[in-house]
Amino acid sequence: MGIFISRRILTAILCIFAALCLNFIIIHAAPGDPVRILVGQDNPSPEVIEALTIKYGLDQPQYVQFFRYVGNLLRGDMGTSIYTGEPVSLMILRRMGPTALLALTAAVLAMVIGTAFGIFSGRRVGSKVDSAIGSISYLFDAMPGFWLGLMLILIFASSLHILPTAGMVDVRADHEGFLRALDILRHMALPVTTLTLTLIPYYMRISRAAVVQALGEDFITTLRAAGMPESKIYRTYVFRNAILPTITVFGIQMAYLVTGSAIVEIVFSWPGMGSFVMTAISRRDYPLLMGIYFILSISVAVMMIAVDLLYSAMDPRIRHTGVKE
Amino acid sequence: MTLLSIRDLCVDYLAQDRTVRAVDRFSLDIPKGESFGIVGESGSGKSTLILALMGLLSKRKALVTGSALLDGADLIAMSEDERRAVRWKKMSIVFQNAMNSFSPVHRIGKMMQDIYFAHCPDSAKAERRTRMEELLGLVGLPPRVCDLYPHELSGGMMQRVNIALSLMFNPELLIMDEATTALDVVTQTQILKEIAQLEEKLDITRVMVTHDISVVASSCENVVVMYAGRCLEVGSVKTVLTKPAHPYTKGLIGGFPAEDEEGSDEEKRPLTSIPGTLPDLGAVPAGCIFEPRCDQSADACKSASVNLASLDDGRKVRCRRYGG
Repeated sequence: MGIFISRRILTAILCIFAALCLNFIIIHAAPGDPVRILVGQDNPSPEVIEALTIKYGLDQPQYVQFFRYVGNLLRGDMGTSIYTGEPVSLMILRRMGPTALLALTAAVLAMVIGTAFGIFSGRRVGSKVDSAIGSISYLFDAMPGFWLGLMLILIFASSLHILPTAGMVDVRADHEGFLRALDILRHMALPVTTLTLTLIPYYMRISRAAVVQALGEDFITTLRAAGMPESKIYRTYVFRNAILPTITVFGIQMAYLVTGSAIVEIVFSWPGMGSFVMTAISRRDYPLLMGIYFILSISVAVMMIAVDLLYSAMDPRIRHTGVKE
Repeated sequence: MTLLSIRDLCVDYLAQDRTVRAVDRFSLDIPKGESFGIVGESGSGKSTLILALMGLLSKRKALVTGSALLDGADLIAMSEDERRAVRWKKMSIVFQNAMNSFSPVHRIGKMMQDIYFAHCPDSAKAERRTRMEELLGLVGLPPRVCDLYPHELSGGMMQRVNIALSLMFNPELLIMDEATTALDVVTQTQILKEIAQLEEKLDITRVMVTHDISVVASSCENVVVMYAGRCLEVGSVKTVLTKPAHPYTKGLIGGFPAEDEEGSDEEKRPLTSIPGTLPDLGAVPAGCIFEPRCDQSADACKSASVNLASLDDGRKVRCRRYGG
């Protein structure tokens, strides 16, 4: 097991480095120039442009810039934002929390609800209930997240006035402690619902297929032939075998959610990473962008290792392939 | 004494636009204590017959009619609850795919104990554990197998586990559906020998479903030859396999290398095969079902249907040439 984990961590580090190189190349190859954006459109003076270019080291050859960046990174310095002058690490730290809160809640909810529906549906495969649930899931699958978000705002915030339209806290109320948590919860309701609804169909289809597949396995026939009650077969054997693919999907979805929720974050003005990335891109804020993508690739790698560990805990066949005697 | 008496058993698979009769008016008496072999090529309805007896065919996909009396109780007519009580206590089954017949993510002992628990909810944990180890001991496996996962065992060991599982409640009837087909010949012989011993010890009647005539020849007393869901020839292994009457039985035997019996120094005969394939069960010919592939067919075979006829040596044959 120890070998398995250390090997996974090593490959993760290699992956993160590869992602770093690619990000650097792509970000710097993209048209546009942070200094140009910084100085504005109205006849900027060439002296200012040159001074800023030198200040941020953008006059150096790209490979020098790259090695300088990696060197700083190894010393724990992610640089400062070109646009705001703040340390990148602090800016990201501030934004990570809200995104994690939103994405994790939505992913867990979607997994639980989606898997429940999938198992329910898979158990009745081919029935009217099954096809009804299937059709509804395709409906939600086809809805774009931002549209669903806007519709929810229209209904629950604009018309019914039960929930706030945007933001994470009510800035005028300035709650403390428990009331603040309650306030955040109220603000979370709509964006989480939007994300959850768009994610549910995915989990549903995966778990439904897994149930159908598990039901076709020979050991189910053995259990039936041995006189085991259907309810027990489902509760213990089908469920346990069908839950495995869901774990993998959860990991992939989570990694994707951190950035994928950007549009929903923008619709609800959620102060998270998603909207942050968009602004950083439009400003060509190189150090900030590099920092964001660096942190994202770390979180994806960590998530994948976590999923692998969870999977090996759930599936004995995986557990033993890591260590060969 | 007859243990299992099957009368006019029919199984129709319900496809979308037609029904396919996989087993047609199948009748068979299995005497207590005499092992029975069911042979036939793939698709001849052997497994369908077994699944129908065990009540494992989905009601939406298959229609089962006729009767099958096990100790006087009709397996076909009984309710799901009654059937659950009969399963494993009176009749159990060992499937072909030993590796896949246990859940891959549960320990072997867990699934065995769950099945025990399903029938004896009052049993104590220690009692269940003891019984599992006892059963594994019967088939020559150490107690630690309880704590292993299926993928940690070889195919032969898994088949032993399956046999151990099937013996859990000392069933009267043990069905082995191609149970040794996937094993290598050495393991197969070994397991067959052990089964024969267990049978004697535990007073079990075995039904062996296989397409391998040599398995039946070496381990069964009676044999029924199935083709396209019908019984073509039934009798003791000695009469049917040494002096086959039906052209199909002859063909099946011709496709297998001869058993090396003492004193038979005859020239090695060439292996033959039966031309053609199984008929389309959705459109069965009016006459003898085997007629299109038979090397002794006559015009009369094409039109009139053929019934089972009893011969002097105790066997029954479904062939016009024997008065069927």
